[in-house]
Amino acid sequence: DTSGWACELCPFEEGYQADYDAGATYVSDDEARFGHATGYDNKGAYANVAGNGSYTKGGYRLDWLFEDLGLSSRFAQLDGNVDGRFGFSIGYREQPQRQFSSTRTVFTGAAGELALPPGWVSAGTTSSFPQLATALRPVNIESDRQILDLGADWKANKKIRVFAEFQRQNRDGVKISGGAGFTQASLLAKFIDYETDRIDTGIQYADGAATLALNWYGSFFENRNSSLAWQTPFATAPGAVRLQKATAPGSDFQQLSLSGSYRWNTWDTVLAFSLASGQGKQTDALLPYTSNPNIATSVLPVTAMDARVDTVNHALTITSRPLPQGRVVLSYRYDERDNRTQVLSWNRIIADIFDAGETEQNTPYSFERSRFGISGELRVWRDIRLSGGYNRRILKRDYQEVAEQTVDAGWAQARWRPLDWLDLRIKGGTDERDIDRYDETVAVSLGQNPLLRKYNLAYRFRSYGEFSAAITPTDSRWSIGTSVLLADDRFTKSLLGMTDSEELRVTLDLNYAISQRASAYFMAGFEETDALQLGSEQFSSWDWKAKHEDSFEHLGFGVHWRSENEKIDVHADYNRGSGETTINMDSLSGSASRLPDLESTLDTLRASIAYRWNDRLQATLDFRFERFELSDWALVEPDTMATVLTLGAQPYDYDVWALGIGIRYSFGNPNISIPN
Amino acid sequence: SQSPGDATTLPDYSRKGADTCIACHEDQSTLSVFRSKHGTPRDPASPFGHGQLQCESCHGPGDEHSGRVRRGQERPAVLAFGKQALLTIEKQNAYCVDCHAADVGFASHAGAHDMNSVSCADCHSSHAEHDPVLQTATQAEVCFDCHQQQRTQSMKPYAHPVRQGKMDCGSCHNSHGQTTDLMLVRQTLNDTCFDCHAETRGPYLWEHAPVSEDCSNCHDPHGSNQPGMLSMRAPLLCQGCHSEDGHPSLPQDERGLPSGIPSQFLLGQSCLNCHSEVHGSNHPSGSKLMR
Repeated sequence: DTSGWACELCPFEEGYQADYDAGATYVSDDEARFGHATGYDNKGAYANVAGNGSYTKGGYRLDWLFEDLGLSSRFAQLDGNVDGRFGFSIGYREQPQRQFSSTRTVFTGAAGELALPPGWVSAGTTSSFPQLATALRPVNIESDRQILDLGADWKANKKIRVFAEFQRQNRDGVKISGGAGFTQASLLAKFIDYETDRIDTGIQYADGAATLALNWYGSFFENRNSSLAWQTPFATAPGAVRLQKATAPGSDFQQLSLSGSYRWNTWDTVLAFSLASGQGKQTDALLPYTSNPNIATSVLPVTAMDARVDTVNHALTITSRPLPQGRVVLSYRYDERDNRTQVLSWNRIIADIFDAGETEQNTPYSFERSRFGISGELRVWRDIRLSGGYNRRILKRDYQEVAEQTVDAGWAQARWRPLDWLDLRIKGGTDERDIDRYDETVAVSLGQNPLLRKYNLAYRFRSYGEFSAAITPTDSRWSIGTSVLLADDRFTKSLLGMTDSEELRVTLDLNYAISQRASAYFMAGFEETDALQLGSEQFSSWDWKAKHEDSFEHLGFGVHWRSENEKIDVHADYNRGSGETTINMDSLSGSASRLPDLESTLDTLRASIAYRWNDRLQATLDFRFERFELSDWALVEPDTMATVLTLGAQPYDYDVWALGIGIRYSFGNPNISIPN
Repeated sequence: SQSPGDATTLPDYSRKGADTCIACHEDQSTLSVFRSKHGTPRDPASPFGHGQLQCESCHGPGDEHSGRVRRGQERPAVLAFGKQALLTIEKQNAYCVDCHAADVGFASHAGAHDMNSVSCADCHSSHAEHDPVLQTATQAEVCFDCHQQQRTQSMKPYAHPVRQGKMDCGSCHNSHGQTTDLMLVRQTLNDTCFDCHAETRGPYLWEHAPVSEDCSNCHDPHGSNQPGMLSMRAPLLCQGCHSEDGHPSLPQDERGLPSGIPSQFLLGQSCLNCHSEVHGSNHPSGSKLMR
């Protein structure tokens, strides 16, 4: 009989309890990339304000959390709850994206219209622009997201919950965008101003045997700069001075879904399903065929597209345990994208320069994707579990070289836990993507080499193996985790395109408890992907090949120490990530050559010391250091290429440190105490 | 006697409920449950709500565990949670799902976590005032305990801001398992990406076929050595699908570097110097994705 349980010792708290941090951080240098996601992009001092807390009274409860209020990565969240039945949340966060501060442009203006400086003298090549050096002015490639979240939910009873969530996401800033002429191009600093509203709402039912949920999801995207015009700096045909392109159109997507599950005691069987139907629309007004007044064009077939995509998504899974030691899973999934956009004929105007005298039709791509799978698991011995599965995925599409492809995949896994602290797992499988046929007439109609097998449409046979081990002795100071993955993709029916790809991934984690108050860890990861690709410059069989080798290493280690009196707390973490891409080219027209390696090395160190004066007051000292070195031959000066005016972005090469001091003060009861 | 993981019959509940437990378990990390939603007496669904079973709502009947033991005798373990728990992981998880069915859903039974015997407690700290796996800044560290390869990828030079603690794994994945592929939060991978990148959604007048089908044809969402999280350096990435008559697929080697004749097909944005609208174009003359 539990009815008499009083819980007299339970320290239920009422009132206010919070921790607040206040301090300042000094950043040693201006470096946009250091500020990516963090907000520390300029040299100087920043205010650090953070905190968390709660207020409880009766059945009312408020929780709040805020971080980095003095930075452009600020975050704040407030959650409220009444008797556990009604809840609400308000959240706001900003995400700074910082790409380059070394970039320069000759263009002026903003939003959708970029102009050359007055008196600009055009020329055929970048090195012939007489005003280039004097006209270049700095422009940062950066943007900021501001995300507002509102949510509310109501539990009508233990079984029924209704919820609604709204999110408004704004993103504004500058991105790099190519602006093409006929044979020349300029990289533009494109101003973006996006707004996306998202709504998720629904009603859920759940009891001990069943769940059911009806949800509506809406996403509404608006682009306030839906076109971009620029003046070409190059000598060009008459009338083709001001060029224009469309940017991302506004769109919306709505989806209604019904999902649920039911559980039977018989064989512990669970059936779960999901049915969803959605529709995406885009009706933005179209720009004219060309901004060149010297080209006579016909009337557009429509002034705005009535672009529409209908989606259907169905899924069903059944899991059952016909044996106490075994489980079977059946799954089926179907995804359809039915692009119902009208197909129209369009004149072909090339780069605002000339009318090709042809018409072409838009190709609204649709596909149906279905997957059926069966898998099972059997505990053959107390410590050994064997599992395996097979699934077939069929993809049907239109307007492309491959109308139907089938992927047959099988896998097997053995898991052995001979001891409570030792978990070994080995898995292997194959995955064969077959196609009904590669329709070369479609390829030719698209102007493509009929021997080419596109990466995502080609026959592919994949085999892979994985091993992982977790060693976590209960009474030992050590714990170890490691994993290895080896995968091999063969595109054996491709005469052009990707023919071979291999992947290796290795990880190692070590944790060591030095004492009750100190611990250390070490982690390492390595990845390598090698791919071989064949190409043809003569529009025939292969006459060049490229080997693309991509590798990445990660090393990290750190320590944590707390003094015996728990007044001093020290953390230190160091990470190094090193990436390297090697491209070896071999062509019949030239010779074997190797492009310089693309390399990146990112070192980060973060160390903090906290000193607790008393239960309420704590001081912190925080140090972070970041070194980023990048070598990338694609980043060149504005006039390096004769026919492309770039923004002159420079590879990252910086050392930045930041030192922060702060205090934390606790209000309310810093410690939870049991009632006397 | 029962062996770990095989408990089929349950012992009795303790005599005094939480008062029995707290008499021994009085450390701050245990007591912090009273600052979490689990320790809210006015919430009828909370383990400490009126008529609920307090600590034993989750840990299971504790009479044996809290009873007297003879000198030298090992105290029986609690039923649920911890390495010496007597219940199987499936049965431990059932304790959580009993209250959290609406949050978790039974679709979790076919999810990768359930299939690999991951328990709720492997990820959740149910006593913590702020469960690390529910906080954006700390969630990834919990996931990376097992998903070490993804941790490595998150450290790559071009990656989502997970390393900086400004984005969590749950932005894209529903760890409780769904009927979706890869446990994604939306119905498809593209729908998931469009949550934050709606500008690439369209539908456009001129579509780029692989984009409409699967963003991961070109992007590695966990991180990449290449700008834009591309899976391969352009122009090779583009040449994997494009070899056109009149616009030959040229080998871009060291002859195209600044030390030779700088190539507009290799340097800068490579193919995107001109074909900038790779996600699709809504311009009447944008069939080649240049407008």
